[in-house]
Amino acid sequence: MTSVVLSVRGLSVRFLMPGGRRIAAVTDAHFDVTAGECLALIGESGCGKSVLASALLGLLPANAQTAGEAHLADLDLLAADERTLARTVRGRRIGLIPQSPAAHLTPVRTIRSQLEETVAALRGVQGRKALRAAAEEAAERAAFPADHLDRHPHELSGGLAQRAATALALVGDAPLLLADEPTTGLDRDLVDHTVDELRRHVDTADRALLMITHDLAAAERIADRVAVMYAGRIVELTDAAAFFGETGPRHPYSRGLLAALPDRAFTPIPGMPPELGALPDGCAFAARCDRTTAACTAVPHLTDAVACHHPHVPEGIRA
Amino acid sequence: MAETAVEPRWRSYGTRRRSTRTVRVRTSVALVAVTVLAVLLVPPLIQLDQQAVDLALKLQPPSWAHPFGTDDVGRDLLLRCVYGLRVSLFVGVVAALTATVIGTAVGATAGALGGWFDRGVMRLVDTFSSVPHLLLGIFIVALFRPGVWPVVVSVGLTHWLSTARIVRAEVLSLRSRPYIDAAVSGGASRWRVAVRHLLPAVLPQAALAAVLMVPHAMWHESALSFLGLGLPSHMASLGNLIQTARGSLLAGQWWPTLFPGLFLVVPTLAIAGLAGAWRERINPRRRSELML
Amino acid sequence: MLELRAITAGYDRRTPVVRDVSLSVEPGEAVGLLGPSGCGKSTLARVAALLHRPDSGTVLLDGEPVHRWRHRAPRAHRTAFGVVFQQPRLSVDPRLRLTDLMAEPLRATGRRNEIPDRVAELATAVGLTPDLLTRRPHEVSDGQLQRACLARALVLRPRWLICDEITAMLDASTSAALVAAVEDYRAETGAGLLAVGHDHALLNRWCGRLVRWDDLGPAA
Repeated sequence: MTSVVLSVRGLSVRFLMPGGRRIAAVTDAHFDVTAGECLALIGESGCGKSVLASALLGLLPANAQTAGEAHLADLDLLAADERTLARTVRGRRIGLIPQSPAAHLTPVRTIRSQLEETVAALRGVQGRKALRAAAEEAAERAAFPADHLDRHPHELSGGLAQRAATALALVGDAPLLLADEPTTGLDRDLVDHTVDELRRHVDTADRALLMITHDLAAAERIADRVAVMYAGRIVELTDAAAFFGETGPRHPYSRGLLAALPDRAFTPIPGMPPELGALPDGCAFAARCDRTTAACTAVPHLTDAVACHHPHVPEGIRA
Repeated sequence: MAETAVEPRWRSYGTRRRSTRTVRVRTSVALVAVTVLAVLLVPPLIQLDQQAVDLALKLQPPSWAHPFGTDDVGRDLLLRCVYGLRVSLFVGVVAALTATVIGTAVGATAGALGGWFDRGVMRLVDTFSSVPHLLLGIFIVALFRPGVWPVVVSVGLTHWLSTARIVRAEVLSLRSRPYIDAAVSGGASRWRVAVRHLLPAVLPQAALAAVLMVPHAMWHESALSFLGLGLPSHMASLGNLIQTARGSLLAGQWWPTLFPGLFLVVPTLAIAGLAGAWRERINPRRRSELML
Repeated sequence: MLELRAITAGYDRRTPVVRDVSLSVEPGEAVGLLGPSGCGKSTLARVAALLHRPDSGTVLLDGEPVHRWRHRAPRAHRTAFGVVFQQPRLSVDPRLRLTDLMAEPLRATGRRNEIPDRVAELATAVGLTPDLLTRRPHEVSDGQLQRACLARALVLRPRWLICDEITAMLDASTSAALVAAVEDYRAETGAGLLAVGHDHALLNRWCGRLVRWDDLGPAA
């Protein structure tokens, strides 16, 4: 039996703006991530996926409001206070793999000293020798070469910087890894490499990985399941093999995204996503969709893996 | 499926952090407003002679008639303090503006032109910075007869160095941004890039530096006056008030020193508080807080 | 014809990032330059757009060697290029509204009277709705901002487009829309294109000719 590591129920985030405007960044998100599984949360920039990650980590700005629950074992991340999150969650129960490792690492200190500090803080390792050994072991887990440990972040290539950041994220042995756009700005070989390594960390230690990305190729390579986010809502949550494979996605937006890939039709979805501050009453995708009917004036709920009134029906079932 | 339009229960985020900041900012705003109003309105509206000498009332401790007490020739200290603040604030504001204009012009030009001009100017800035600026200020006031303008010139001419550095660094970091490349490619002249793209970007920083410099300049005025080199001794500046109070302080009369001192310290803290909040506001990171 | 001959360039003469590279783009041609990140292809793109003076080598514009760069380059030369960069946030003046952003090159070249027509026309071409045009950069998404950056690059009707990883930060649909807008412009004007990137699938689909960075050296 697989165990659920993170269970998100009805998570919503609103930002209160000057003038009483409310921005619906995330609305009613439901999903689970289980041990040994990678869930890729995909969507375009501004769809609310990074806000969702920040909400899980308790790193929202002061003008935010949240609703719903996000259970990491017995702890509700949304209700926990900052002290609990800082002392027991970030780094210890959720390992964060950042978007730009170069900015995440302290520029004036060597990778070794940063690893040693993290090992001392998270695992309580003491003594110079023990620290040194533990740091080297931590580096090895992320395949960070030992002879580069005494370098500073700016002396590392993009790929090695990403490995250093990953090594730091893995130190706390957190059951949940959260990767926020880990491949942005990397070239294709490095993307593949980074993603394969993340997959290895999921498989070897039975971790759960929630990866937020707009890179469909990376998601295809790593994910067991895919959640597609559009205008703050999860519109499709399904098996990755079916999503990227023969069957294809069922939500018209997901289909449009895949069709826009350069090795597929390379045709964009017409129009642009609605503003999160002024969402339409019904389905947010209706204005761009070729299947829109009168039914689409009501918000579709996520039933049977897709939130759409007129989803594509897989070939096998249609008969 | 039945439509369940139940509004979820919202949890607010970080309200406490916000309220302590708000209190600090509001206190600063109120104090600065009171200071400015007092300085602008009291002299024209209240027909009292701050210079009125009444030796019978000399060195009275604070009372209802004279809330701040009286000085060694029986002048009302509250009135003297307000007049003193008026003079000090005027000197502070004008000197800070002078320094900021010089600093911004020098820093922006050096950063925008680069090359030998930049190197030469920055070497000059380093040289000036190596001399304690109070000494330099004393040297400049010593060249003139005592008065308001020599003090303004002295403080203004010695305080543009740090602004020039800040502005130059900002211009240098902006100059390598792709948006400057895009402007060049769009046919913008050197002048247009400087005036339309670089200068507006550094102005908030420069203005912030100017505001922070007002109290600094006030302290310099006080220091120069305290040393007897600043304003003529009959003028009620805060520095002069503290200077004249020295003798009575040793005799146990604390009020002629305390109140002018407070008039110097409180506006300083209020302006610094205000500038701090403003700095947070112009910080670009806060703008992207939405993470959208 | 845009020709780069034996270009060596960088930010420090002792360690140039581009060494002895040659490349040419015919009028109307789309050349995709494929290379790993950090290889110097962005620097080469800036040299091609006359934004960065090379340490050595020659740039020929329609057979004429270029001698001056950046502000010193004749305005007609500079504006013959439309450039779009990887990160839209860093490529715009954060104080300008989107419409002013797009109109800035027209203002800079004293063609204010063309602004209303040209901005409206380009907004449609790149897929920006009128309500977005009055916003400032921090009020729009990366994708919307990159659309505005493309409009700005097209506003002076350049003969050459230099696109440096313009879709790296964007989702698939917005990427496809941007490429389609570039191609519409090229079909209409016959402009040449140098697209720099690391995504083989994208450049292969987009460009008529694909060049690998490693093949550009002195031997090629």
